[in-house]
Amino acid sequence: MPETCPHGFDETLLSGAIDQELVQADAQKVRIHLEDCAFCRAQFDELTKLREFAMSTTIRQPPDDQWSESPRGGISRTGRTVGWLLAITWLVIITAFGLYQGWQNTDGAFEKFLGFGGLGAVALLFASVALDRRRTAKTDPYREVEK
Amino acid sequence: MPLPRIAPPLPRTIRLAQGGDDPAREELAVYCRKIAYIFALQGCGDRHEAHDLAQDAVLRFFAALDRFHTDRPVKPWLLTITRNLIRDRARRQRTRRIEAFSLADIVVEPSDPEPGPEAIAALHQMQQLLWRSMQELSASDREIVTLREYLDLSYEDIANALGVPRGTVMSRLHRARRRLGAIMTHRKQASEGEVHDA
Repeated sequence: MPETCPHGFDETLLSGAIDQELVQADAQKVRIHLEDCAFCRAQFDELTKLREFAMSTTIRQPPDDQWSESPRGGISRTGRTVGWLLAITWLVIITAFGLYQGWQNTDGAFEKFLGFGGLGAVALLFASVALDRRRTAKTDPYREVEK
Repeated sequence: MPLPRIAPPLPRTIRLAQGGDDPAREELAVYCRKIAYIFALQGCGDRHEAHDLAQDAVLRFFAALDRFHTDRPVKPWLLTITRNLIRDRARRQRTRRIEAFSLADIVVEPSDPEPGPEAIAALHQMQQLLWRSMQELSASDREIVTLREYLDLSYEDIANALGVPRGTVMSRLHRARRRLGAIMTHRKQASEGEVHDA
């Protein structure tokens, strides 16, 4: 049995014909070729059977109660979004207020440095990490998916 | 040819799900779980891992659902997410694939309305042989065959899911099918040889 079609036919068209993905002219070409070529006919039948075996297979799924996490529905999703917005707004206001009060009530450059130097350092570190993350996000394998 | 077993959700269902309708979200989730689980099972070869991957994929799918266009098919998008998760897991764990798939996980669904016990047994045997032979394919071959044969994606949807031109799909799929056929033949001959030897 030869490895490839003895007539040099483009065998990939056989798959296209099985999947009904060919344009009419190519489908016709396959039909005519199959009448004369035993090799391609055998291959066509084998691949058709293979597809039938796969298509007739049902894979047992995990029971419904094993899918522990369900996607959040409308009310809980809205609630979660509003909750986060409120929490972030509150955090920004309270932080700004605290910083303002702290700055106003601290006398002297050294005391101000003690109070705000550490916070400034943490803020700078946070900003640099955020910038790094943004740069590496360009090679994130999920970036196309999330668009 | 048997019909695809899992009917895709209607655009209306997706629109309702995007609007936060709970029954529509549940219907869409059930569909997505089935699709993602089958793909993950062939991708990682382990039932529990596949369950986790499918769960994760569905949650990610829903997290980005607002950005999904209802006129596009769900499968390619969902399967791209699942594929990324499978690859991510493989990179992290670098484990060898194992044939952890139990025979009991395949349920026979004969196309003949009244098949005899022998026909069912023969069909079941071929389905198992096919599934196991898939495990010997390379990751990219297994991926494309699963998308076409088990999940019934069109060439265009496969091209979208794999990020390759549509023309590449047909040639790659054909090569993968031929390799799969050769593996099946080899396995069949090997098992028949064992029976004869016994």
